[in-house]
Amino acid sequence: MTLKELQSSKRAHPYPVQSPGHERGTRSRSGIRRRSTILVTAVLVFITALVAFPMYWVLATAFKSPEQLYSGIAVLWPLPSHIENFVEALTRIPFLPYMLNSLFLATVNGVLTTLSSALVGYGFARLRGPGKGIFFGVLIAMMMMPGIVTLIPTYLLFSQVGLVGNYWPWVIWGLVGSPYLIFLYRQFFAGLPKELEEAAILDGCGQFRIFTRIFLPISKPIVVTAFVMSFLAVWGDFIAPNLLLDQSNTTLAVALSSGYVNERGFPLNNLIAAGSILYVIPVVLVFFFVQQRYTQSFSSAGIK
Amino acid sequence: MASTLSVARPVRRGSPLTKRRSRAFYLFISPWLIGTVLLTIFPLAYALGVSLTDWDGVSPGFRWVGAQNYLDVLGDPETWASMSRSAVLAVVVVPLTVAGSLGLAILLNQKVRLRSFWRTMIYLPAVFPPVASALSWKLVFDRDSGAINAVRAWFGQDAVNWMTGQQVFVVLLAVMLWGIGAGMIINLAALQDVSPELLEAATLDGAGPWRRFTAVTLPTISPVLLFQTVTSTIGVLQTFVPALLLSPTTGAAAVTAVPEANRIFMIDVYAQYFAYSRYGYASAMLWLFFLAILVVTVLFFRASRKTVFYSVDPSSDGGK
Repeated sequence: MTLKELQSSKRAHPYPVQSPGHERGTRSRSGIRRRSTILVTAVLVFITALVAFPMYWVLATAFKSPEQLYSGIAVLWPLPSHIENFVEALTRIPFLPYMLNSLFLATVNGVLTTLSSALVGYGFARLRGPGKGIFFGVLIAMMMMPGIVTLIPTYLLFSQVGLVGNYWPWVIWGLVGSPYLIFLYRQFFAGLPKELEEAAILDGCGQFRIFTRIFLPISKPIVVTAFVMSFLAVWGDFIAPNLLLDQSNTTLAVALSSGYVNERGFPLNNLIAAGSILYVIPVVLVFFFVQQRYTQSFSSAGIK
Repeated sequence: MASTLSVARPVRRGSPLTKRRSRAFYLFISPWLIGTVLLTIFPLAYALGVSLTDWDGVSPGFRWVGAQNYLDVLGDPETWASMSRSAVLAVVVVPLTVAGSLGLAILLNQKVRLRSFWRTMIYLPAVFPPVASALSWKLVFDRDSGAINAVRAWFGQDAVNWMTGQQVFVVLLAVMLWGIGAGMIINLAALQDVSPELLEAATLDGAGPWRRFTAVTLPTISPVLLFQTVTSTIGVLQTFVPALLLSPTTGAAAVTAVPEANRIFMIDVYAQYFAYSRYGYASAMLWLFFLAILVVTVLFFRASRKTVFYSVDPSSDGGK
């Protein structure tokens, strides 16, 4: 499915079987449909409530004072609400410096991953060379490869060449690109017509120019998706910064999971909740900003 | 050979243009190629080397012990316990995720009121970072301030400490199933790929909804279902972060304090490496895990040959 089709397929499925309640039938049949629509809605309300509840609970927890937190009764919403928890979440640990670390790593890695994946994807989609089939097979196998299996030995190697405790590993990972995004680009570039580069070749353009001047600009939706996905991957990653960085220069993900404890080491749940919300807000904003594109290319990344 | 071809076609194998083009190909894929060798193949080989030693990661010296680590790993009941916990997790989570996300996709592929609202809400947790998901559920299941115990209190039941004993496995399941929306989105896209003409033809042939689903929809989306089954199995088997964050302590000690019910395989590996400094032993575990994943993947693809239907041969577009 092309991106265009995917975008238009947001509309309801044209086939009536998939859309009960919206097709005029005989009276008894539409009665059945109305009942099934009610049933479907009921199921959806139930599932959505189940899925949304933890989000609500974190939000409610973030506004509670320690007394409200441990009052022993379930309060639906804490009154008075303690907005100052958010201020304390920002100050109890060096929240903003950690956030800047996350932001820096995610941006640097995101930009590099986006560009290098595009480069490699273009190579696989539009160029030829001996061994291409084998390399492509390896690429697909890499997508299936459990990341954590290589991460620990990579950490051991990095620690021997002085790449632990600094941000270089994220630059290196960015330069290499991600198999998944390479595949995404490859699928997109392979679907474009041959005429696109033919004139440029006749004009004597090199492949690199064709890539930067023609293919990269028209793949803007994929570029955005690739950047968002790699940015969010680093923003959310816990294992790599936990292994490779120190307390002083780690990311928000790591700091958040261990920072909010009192003097005796007990977790401060209301601050954990407030901190988590502040940590997730950028993700949710990015998600709503690029939602359509993101989910669609994510889903079409294609298995085909 | 070249001369006969050159008469017919000016651009032939080995011509400057072809050479230049294949040089361009290698230049373009070189970041990934070099990266794969340095960051995947080399570390794997390194881990294989380490797995044949008794290195503790600290001392400069080590001894070659051959296959001893592998024999020790396979003879250790602890390994089998952690591996079977991972297997149980996969057996519970994978079918629920694949079938559940398909069910949700079918529901949300219909015209229902507020459809995009439901879709967004169900998908949202899937974009949450793993740390946020684990911490959220930790708050929900907290012994003193959590929602679950609060509800239990309403019904006059005692507070349960969800973070210990077997209960913590329930929390881990909740964290993992919360991301079901990711599969739902993939299935939604797949469902929209199902040919309306085929469905219509089936209706005209007298097929009911169930028959249409099994005879038309299911075969069409079967590659997508296979893809999800394989990737989510691999994903679940290497679960690490949620189990670690459900540990009662944080920091370096967390991995050894993970409650037994959540000591899944990767937690075990991590503890062997960084808590007990048994680098050789842990590397052997990692390699066995790698082989196990490989076997699982191959088995899935083998088993699926007869059940998965490809409208286009997926291997044919590799060399385009």
